[in-house]
Amino acid sequence: MRRGEFVALMGPSGSGKSTLLQLLGGLDRPTGGDVILDGEVVSHLSDTDATRLRREKTGFVFQFFNLIPLLDVYENVALPFTIAGEDPRRGDAAARIRDVLEILDLVGREHNRPDQLSAGEQQRVALARALVGRPAILLADEPTGNLDYATGGEILDELWRSCDQRGQTIVLVTHDARAAAYADRVLVVGDGRIRDEIELGRRTTHEAGPLIARLAQLGL
Amino acid sequence: MRRLSSLAWRTLGARKVRSFLSMAGIALGVAVLFASLSAGATMDAAVEKAAADEMGHTDLRVQALEESGLSRDTVNVIAGAAGVSVAAPALERKTYLSARANQTPSAKLPPPVTVLGIDPVKEPQLHDMPLASGRLLTAGDVSSALITQTLGDQEGLRIGDSISLNGTVAAGPQAYQIVGIVIGDGPLPEAEGRLVFIPLGSAQTLFGTTGVTRVDLGVASGVSVDELIGQLDVSIKTEPYLLSRTEDLAASLRAEMADFRSALLLVAAVVLFAGAFLIFNTMSMTVAERTRDVGLLRAAGTTRSQVMGLVLLQALALGLIGSAAGVVLGVALAALTLSWIGSSGPIALAAPAVSAGSVAMALLVGVALTIAASLEPAWRAGRIPPVEALRRGPSGTSAGAARLRWLVVVFGVLAVAALAVWPQADSTDSAGAGPLAAGASSPTGGPLVVYGLLLVAVLLLPRLLGPLLRIAGLPFRIFRNEERLARSSLSRDRSRTALTVGALVVALAMVVALGTAAQDVRKIGSSWLAETIPGSELLTSIRPVSTTDPIRDQLAATPGVKSLSPIGLFGVPYVFTSQKDGKPEKSVVRQEAAAIVGHDYLVDGRLDFLAGDPASALGALDSGGAVIVPKSLADQAGIGLGDSMQFATGPSLMQLRVVGIVAHSIPAEAQEAILVGWSDALTQFGVTGADFYAVRYVAGQESTARTALDSEAASYALEPDDLDRVSGTVGDALDRVFKLLDALALIAVFVAGLGMFNTFSMSVLERVREIGVLRATGMTSRQVWGMVVIEAGVLGIIGAVVGAVVGLIVGALLVSWSSWGFGLVFDPPWLSIGLAVCFGVLISITASVYPAGLASRGSIVRALQHE
Repeated sequence: MRRGEFVALMGPSGSGKSTLLQLLGGLDRPTGGDVILDGEVVSHLSDTDATRLRREKTGFVFQFFNLIPLLDVYENVALPFTIAGEDPRRGDAAARIRDVLEILDLVGREHNRPDQLSAGEQQRVALARALVGRPAILLADEPTGNLDYATGGEILDELWRSCDQRGQTIVLVTHDARAAAYADRVLVVGDGRIRDEIELGRRTTHEAGPLIARLAQLGL
Repeated sequence: MRRLSSLAWRTLGARKVRSFLSMAGIALGVAVLFASLSAGATMDAAVEKAAADEMGHTDLRVQALEESGLSRDTVNVIAGAAGVSVAAPALERKTYLSARANQTPSAKLPPPVTVLGIDPVKEPQLHDMPLASGRLLTAGDVSSALITQTLGDQEGLRIGDSISLNGTVAAGPQAYQIVGIVIGDGPLPEAEGRLVFIPLGSAQTLFGTTGVTRVDLGVASGVSVDELIGQLDVSIKTEPYLLSRTEDLAASLRAEMADFRSALLLVAAVVLFAGAFLIFNTMSMTVAERTRDVGLLRAAGTTRSQVMGLVLLQALALGLIGSAAGVVLGVALAALTLSWIGSSGPIALAAPAVSAGSVAMALLVGVALTIAASLEPAWRAGRIPPVEALRRGPSGTSAGAARLRWLVVVFGVLAVAALAVWPQADSTDSAGAGPLAAGASSPTGGPLVVYGLLLVAVLLLPRLLGPLLRIAGLPFRIFRNEERLARSSLSRDRSRTALTVGALVVALAMVVALGTAAQDVRKIGSSWLAETIPGSELLTSIRPVSTTDPIRDQLAATPGVKSLSPIGLFGVPYVFTSQKDGKPEKSVVRQEAAAIVGHDYLVDGRLDFLAGDPASALGALDSGGAVIVPKSLADQAGIGLGDSMQFATGPSLMQLRVVGIVAHSIPAEAQEAILVGWSDALTQFGVTGADFYAVRYVAGQESTARTALDSEAASYALEPDDLDRVSGTVGDALDRVFKLLDALALIAVFVAGLGMFNTFSMSVLERVREIGVLRATGMTSRQVWGMVVIEAGVLGIIGAVVGAVVGLIVGALLVSWSSWGFGLVFDPPWLSIGLAVCFGVLISITASVYPAGLASRGSIVRALQHE
C-alpha cells in the first residue's frame, strides 16, 4: 500500500479480511509472514511496542462504534491523547480535537454522551477519535455495517475526504460494494489470501456499478 | 418449572467461582451468627447450672445488705414468718488456710478459701451436697469440716486430715477435722472450688460475729413466694436486706454476660449484612449477564413469575448450601470463642451447645437473608421485556433507587432475626438492679440504632459518591488517565458501587467502633483508678480490717510510707424516688458505697469535684452526715448539691447531705460508689472495717519502702497490688474480649473483600469490549491493570474513610451506652482507624488483582468481538 492510498478489502465471511486488518493494526500477530508499516516490521513487536504502534501510527473505526459510554464526545475523541498522557484541553492536542470536531460536524455536541447521539453521529465520533492523532494508517472494519444507507454514505464521504484532502491512508474492510467503490483499489480476499486486485483509481464520483460488475465476475 | 430448574443449576455452575464466593460469604455470616447463638446458649446453660448449684432447692434467699449481717433476732423473725417451712442461715467469709507444719512459708499469699458456716440440719434440706467420700456435718459437730474435691486436690487434703483456718485476731487460727469431701467445685462459683463448710456457730466464733450473711428459705406448700415476700416486708423492719430467687441470681449472672452476648450478635448481624451485599451483587450480576437468555425464555413463553422463581431458586440453593456450611463452621467458631473467653470468668463453660433450635435459627436466617437479598434482582429479571432483552445483550444498568430498596428488606429480615435471638433483659432482677443499677439491661434498641445507622450510611453513599470519588481519586492523580477512567467506571453503576463499598463501610465501621470502645474502656480503667485512689499501691484484705486494728498504724510506720488510707466498700439501701403516673414513688435500691478518710483525699488532691468545695466537702465527710456523689449517679437520680439522700438502714430513714459531686468515684462491683465518711459507715451502715488500704510513698523512696511494706503486709494477710497492675489486669481482660470481637468483625471485612472480588470481576466482564477499544487505541496492558487496581484503591479509600467516620460515630454511641457506668470519655482510636483504613484499602486492592490481570491479559481481538 502506498501512503495516502484508499484500499478496500472485500471477500466472503471468514475469508480473513478482518484478521488482515487486525494484523496491520498490531492487534494480533501473524503465524507466518511479516507486516511492514512505514518501513518497519511490526508483526512481532512486544506488547509495549505494539501498543505504541497503535497509539502513534494507527487509528481504528469499528462497525459497532465502540465508544466509551461513560465519556462524552470530547473525551471520547480526546482518548488517544489522554491515554498518551497529554492534556487534551491544551496546546496542539486541543487544536487538533477542535479541527476534527469541525471537520466531522460535531461542534456543539462535545458534551453529549454516546447514548444521546444518533448512530451516524456516534460513528462520526469514532471516526474523529481515529483521525485525531493523525495516524499513518486508518483501519476501518465495516464502519457502515451498522448504519442506514444515507448515514453510511456520509461516513464514507468523510473517509474519502480525509484521504483525498488530507492524505490519510485508509484500509477499509467491507461487504458492501457501494462502500468499496470509494477506494482507489479493491483487494479481494479469500481463504486468507489476496485473490484479486481491482484498480479503481482516485475519483470524485463513487459509482459502484463497474465494481459490482467486476465482483460479479469473481462470483462475489 | 421442574424442567426450568435445571437452567438455574446450570447458571450457578457456569460461574463456579462466583457461586462459591457467594456461598462462602453467607457461610461466614451464618457461622458467626451460629457461634453467637451457640456461645450464648452455652453461657446460659452454665449460668443456670451455677445459679441452681448455688440456690439448690431454695425458694427465696434473704441476704444481708450490711457487713455485720443479719442479726440473730432477724433470723428468728424470718424463720418464724408465716409460710416458711425451712430457714437455713449461713455465714460466708473469705480467709486463709494456716500454714501446716510441713509447709515452707512463702512470701506470696496463697489463694484464699471461702468458708461457709452452715446449719448442719437445715442446710441439707435446701442444698444437695453430693459427697465424694465421708459424711455430712451433723448437729453435734463443732470442729468438723467439709471441703470440696477441688480444694482437697489442690492442697492434698483427705478425710481425717486437719485444716486450720485463720479467724479474727481474738479467735486466732482454729483447727477442724475433715469429715467429708463434696464433689467438684461446690455450689459457690466465686469460691473457684476453694470452699470449706463448717458449722454456723463455729464460723461465727471464728470470725467474731453473731450475724449471718444470708438465710435461704423453703416455702411451705400452699404458700406462694410472693406471699412470703409480702410477709417478710411486714416482719423485717430493723435491718436492710435483699431478696432473691434462683431466677434472680441467674438473671444477675446473665446480666454480666449480656453486653458481651449483645456485642457478639451485633457483630454477627454485621457479617450477615456484608454477606447480604455479596448475595445481592451476585444475583444482580447473574441477572445482568443472563438478560439475553431471560429474554429468550420470555419470548418462548416463560412467565414473569417463572423467571422470578428461577432466580429465587438459585438464591435458595446458595442460601441452603452456604447456611449449612456456616453451621458446621459455626460449631468450630463457637468452640474457639468459648475457649477464648472461658478462662476469664468464674463460671465454667462447657463445649458449645448445638441445639436443634440454634441450628434451625441459623439456617433460617441464612436462607431468609439470601432470599431477601435476591428479591430485587429476581423482580428485575421478571420485568425484563423480551424484545428489549434480545436487542440489548448483557447489561449492568438498573435503577439505583430500586436497587437500594432491597437494603430495607434485608434490614427488616435481620432486625426480626435480631429481635428473636437478642438476650432479653430480666425485669424480675430485683437484687441490686433497680433503676440506678448499671448494666441492668441489654436493650435491643441501641444495637438496632447502630445497625440502622450503618444502613443509612450505605443508603447515602450513592448520593455522596461523586465527591467521594473525586476526593478518593486524589492519591492516584499521578496516573491521570487510569484514575480518570477508573472513576468513570465506578460512576457507571452508582448503586452497585455503593453496595460494594457499603459492605466494606459496614465491616470497617464495626472494627473502628470496637476499637473506639476498647480504647476508651482501657483508658478509663487506668485513669479512673488514678483519679479516685489516693496512692500508687493497694493493700487488699479478703475481709474487712477493723479501723481500731493496729495494723494501719504499724504499716504506716514503715519508713518511706507517706500515707495509708483505709477504704471500705459496702452496699447501702438507698431510698430512690421516681415518678410514676405523675406521682413520686419511693423504692429502696442497693447502691454501692465506699468509706474514705476525707483528709487523706484532700492532702493527696484526689477526686475531680464538679460541684462543691473539695476542702469543705471532704472535711464534712470526716465529720459525718455528708455524702459525695459521682456524676453518673447524680445525673441518673437527679441529685444536686445540698440535697439529702435517704437510706433505709433501720425503722426510720437515715439522711446524708450531698456535699460534693465528683466526675468519677471509686469503682465498686457494678457501679461507682457514693463516698461517705468512716464515722457514718461504722455507725450508720454497719461497716466493720476497711477492705483495702491505699498507700502513698514518700517521693524517691518508693522502691525500698515498697519491699519492706509488702513483706510486712503479707504477715497481716494483706495482698499488695500495684495500681498500674490492677488497671492493667482489668484492661487485659477487656482486651481479650475486644480482640475476639475484632476478629469476628474482620470476618465481615473479609466477606466484603469477597464481594469486591465479585464486583471487580463483573465490572471487567462488562467492559471487555471497552477495554479492547482502549487497548486498540493505545492503552498498554499495564495501564489497563492499573486502571482496575486504581478502581479498587479508590473504592478501598472510600470504604475505609467512610467506614472510619461511621465507626467513630457508632463507637461514640457504644461508649455512651456501655454499661460500665463510669462515664467514659470519647477519644478516637487513631491506631485502629489507621489500621482499618490500611486494611480496607489493602483488601480492596487484593480483591482486584485477579480481575485486573484478566482485564490486562485478554486478547484485544476477542475483546473487540465480544458481545
